[in-house]
Amino acid sequence: MARIQLLSPRLANQIAAGEVVERPSSVVKELIENSLDAGANRIEIDIESGGTKLVRVRDNGSGINEEDLTLALSRHATSKIVDLEDLEAVATLGFRGEALASIASVARLELLTNTADSGPGWRARGEGRDMRVEVDQVQHPRGTSVEVRDLFFNTPARRKFLRTEKTEFGRIDDIIRKLALSRFDVAFTLRHNGKAVHSLRAAPGQLEQERRVAAICGPAFMENALFIDQTRGALRLWGWIGLPTFSRSQADLQYFFVNGRVIRDKVVSHAVRQAYRDVLYHDRHPAYTLFMELDPAEVDVNVHPTKHEVRFRDSRSVHDFLFSTLHRSVADIRPGDSVASSAPITAAGDSQDFLVAPVSSVPLQGRIDGLARPASDWRAPTPAPGSVRTQLAGYGQLHHNDQLMPAMAEQDDREIPPLGYAIAQLKGVYILAENAQGLIIVDMHAAHERINYERMKQAFELQRITSQPLLVPETIAVSEKEADCAEEYAQVFNDLGFVLQRAGPESLLIREIPSILKGSQAEPLARDVISDLLEYGSSDRIRAHIDDILSTMACHGSVRANRRLGIQEMNALLRDMEATERSGQCNHGRPTWSQLSLDELDRLFLRGR
Amino acid sequence: MKFSISREAFLKPLQLVVSVVERRQTLPVLSNVLITLDNNLLSLTGTDLEVEIVGRIELEQAGQGGEITVPARKLVDICKSLPDKSVINFSEDGGRMLITCGKSRFTLSTLPASDFPSVEEGAGQVEFTIAAAALKKLIDDTAFAMAQQDVRYYLNGMLWEASNGLLRAVATDGHRLAMSSQEMPFSLPERIQAIVPRKGVVELSRILADDGDVTVTLGSNHVRIQRDDFRFTSKLVDGAYPDYERVLPKGGSKYVIGDRELLRHAFARTAILSNEKYRGVRLQLTSGLLKITANNPEQEEAEEEVTVDYEGEGELEIGFNVNYLLDVLGVLKGENFRMVLSDANSSALLEAPEADGSVYVIMPMRL
Repeated sequence: MARIQLLSPRLANQIAAGEVVERPSSVVKELIENSLDAGANRIEIDIESGGTKLVRVRDNGSGINEEDLTLALSRHATSKIVDLEDLEAVATLGFRGEALASIASVARLELLTNTADSGPGWRARGEGRDMRVEVDQVQHPRGTSVEVRDLFFNTPARRKFLRTEKTEFGRIDDIIRKLALSRFDVAFTLRHNGKAVHSLRAAPGQLEQERRVAAICGPAFMENALFIDQTRGALRLWGWIGLPTFSRSQADLQYFFVNGRVIRDKVVSHAVRQAYRDVLYHDRHPAYTLFMELDPAEVDVNVHPTKHEVRFRDSRSVHDFLFSTLHRSVADIRPGDSVASSAPITAAGDSQDFLVAPVSSVPLQGRIDGLARPASDWRAPTPAPGSVRTQLAGYGQLHHNDQLMPAMAEQDDREIPPLGYAIAQLKGVYILAENAQGLIIVDMHAAHERINYERMKQAFELQRITSQPLLVPETIAVSEKEADCAEEYAQVFNDLGFVLQRAGPESLLIREIPSILKGSQAEPLARDVISDLLEYGSSDRIRAHIDDILSTMACHGSVRANRRLGIQEMNALLRDMEATERSGQCNHGRPTWSQLSLDELDRLFLRGR
Repeated sequence: MKFSISREAFLKPLQLVVSVVERRQTLPVLSNVLITLDNNLLSLTGTDLEVEIVGRIELEQAGQGGEITVPARKLVDICKSLPDKSVINFSEDGGRMLITCGKSRFTLSTLPASDFPSVEEGAGQVEFTIAAAALKKLIDDTAFAMAQQDVRYYLNGMLWEASNGLLRAVATDGHRLAMSSQEMPFSLPERIQAIVPRKGVVELSRILADDGDVTVTLGSNHVRIQRDDFRFTSKLVDGAYPDYERVLPKGGSKYVIGDRELLRHAFARTAILSNEKYRGVRLQLTSGLLKITANNPEQEEAEEEVTVDYEGEGELEIGFNVNYLLDVLGVLKGENFRMVLSDANSSALLEAPEADGSVYVIMPMRL
């Protein structure tokens, strides 16, 4: 029988590296996080061969003391926390004290550092089975450079799992995008095989920040994004959310940062999904870049070595805050807010420069009072009112409509509403309208459907929820955990007209259901709600179900295709749309209107070329 | 097979049988009707594997015996469109059915009778004879309360229960319940329960006539009702029916007696302005007066006042789904109705004051 013996330091580190250092991108992440924790505001990253050959991260941070160099490369050594209390309120990105040691155990690592602006710097290398650290003197400016060569040279099994150079670099790029979004105050430079890929300057103001977001998430995102900034108590949420029409088929444009740390959390994604539920087309995902700030003591980051997951101490209030903020912001989008410009977005030729996204800085007051504001709030110059009048007069004559004329004359001195004035109806399906930018096309059924739906929802909220007690209660078999959960959240069910009663350790009785859900199947709904409550601590499934029914009713009560509408009726519909929440999407998430600006029309006909 | 028959005599059993045949079939033989001739007794059989109906007639002159299946719908359409009082000749030849009538000739494809499924019978537990009208009343008084496509499959049918001296039909969809009883000279060691599926109930109500007696056989997995001219067989729903006796409210202390038609119209009018989705109406009872109110999300209101006899302590305010009330007032017979209530959260019992054996229970709604 084999005897028990202590593992060699290198082997112990290699085992730890299995968790922390999965691929080159994890090395990059750990090193940049160290640089950020060291207070650097300029970070340069050099990558060769997708990071397998070389990863070099150079910063202008605080550097490391000569005496600490030996410790820096050993395991469970860190300057970031000292005792357990610090762990409970971690404000730095790292804290476990394993990264450098782990990396050093699977690659050739060289650390150059200097804590002063002048004078000699130091170089440290860890080698051999015991990972003894050799230190010698070199020249180095203030800050730290870490060079990682030949990753996994001594662990061939790991090396086999690496993908192509392109894939590995893609992952590194992804990490850097996330980190660059998390710290607008830091300048990042990324070079791959000597070629500059990113060169992001520090972005102190909102304009620069929006440029950085546009450079990272694509200019299309910025064009279709809203800036939000909300604070409630110790919680602050700010960032950019994509308009519902700018949805994605994959959940790939979703960046969420908690205290500057990028995370993927199911509570967060559930809250966001719930906020977009009513406006997103089936199976589409919203795009967002959001930053949440809260007391570090309220969030536990020590869940997993890679720190992609976090645990909120009060996940319910976080969920609540996220949902209500985003829900409100999405609901407040009005046609006028998002009249997107059609100005062509051209990438600047100089790689040192940024893509110029058509965004303008939003006045600071707007951010402070927490109102959602469109990031792309600028509009084409309003044409002189007179010219619009003559044009519309022409249309009026076409239609022999006496009603239109006085109405238009009256509007002369006022601003033209965002969705403009109706001109005609096309094929009994679409309304054509003219506004300051050009042509507006409205899907009349979709728009009317949403208006009715929002009205019904409001009416429903005004009324008390009525419930229908069942003559023959329905028994559902559940697990004990689920039954406990149903008891615990009895109030949540009661508020929506459901009454569940414990009938035994593993069974529940449905005693009452909301009257409006009569005829739908109560059992699967109750089950889904319970599983939501177990998973996320909240559920809006009952509401979603009720909304579904209201939505069907709204659909049946809306004008159908081939219904002839007069100019007045169409104008009334346009004004209703401007006043209605979420009017940009129909109940099913399809867009209700679209703009063809004069520029786009000109381009169609090659005018002005 | 070869026989002749007058159009009217043939159509009567054929139409009886054909309604059970489903229009869309995966099993081709199920869209056929089985024709059997034995001496001068002609039987027609239609089935959907759950319900089987056999119609019988005696021919005036004996034909050539045999059995064969032909497409049911086409046969009905042909016979219906032939002129009145004509005589139709049927003859089978080489796997084809030839139908002639005057100068019209039709040839229908056939399938062998051996392919035709028969509903299997088990041993009968109880057999009795009942007036067709009495059985029809049991069904018609309760059928409206059966559930439709409920996951609790046993609610999608009607409970028949035979106990000492009583035959009872019960139907419920979980929100309201209808029960009707008929005295019978039974003497049984224990009560027998059977759940007749919804489709069987609907078909049976259609074929039961108002006169004559029928013989009912309740088995463990089927029910059979027959007379000289038809035989109806249905499989039973396998399952335990909820204990309906627990649902019947006891100890109601407030009695309302009123004119049935008057109240039905009052409810129908208030229903116009009730919420179109859940149809809630509010009933306010004070001595001698019933006030019915309804309102909808547009804040429109309806109010009706009806004079009733109200016995009970104090006033009562209670909400109901107006459709449930209208359903019951629609099937109740007689000039008046009686409602027994206890409080706003307990179920209400409705019946005819002269106790004709049918009672209805409705759960109130929390408004």
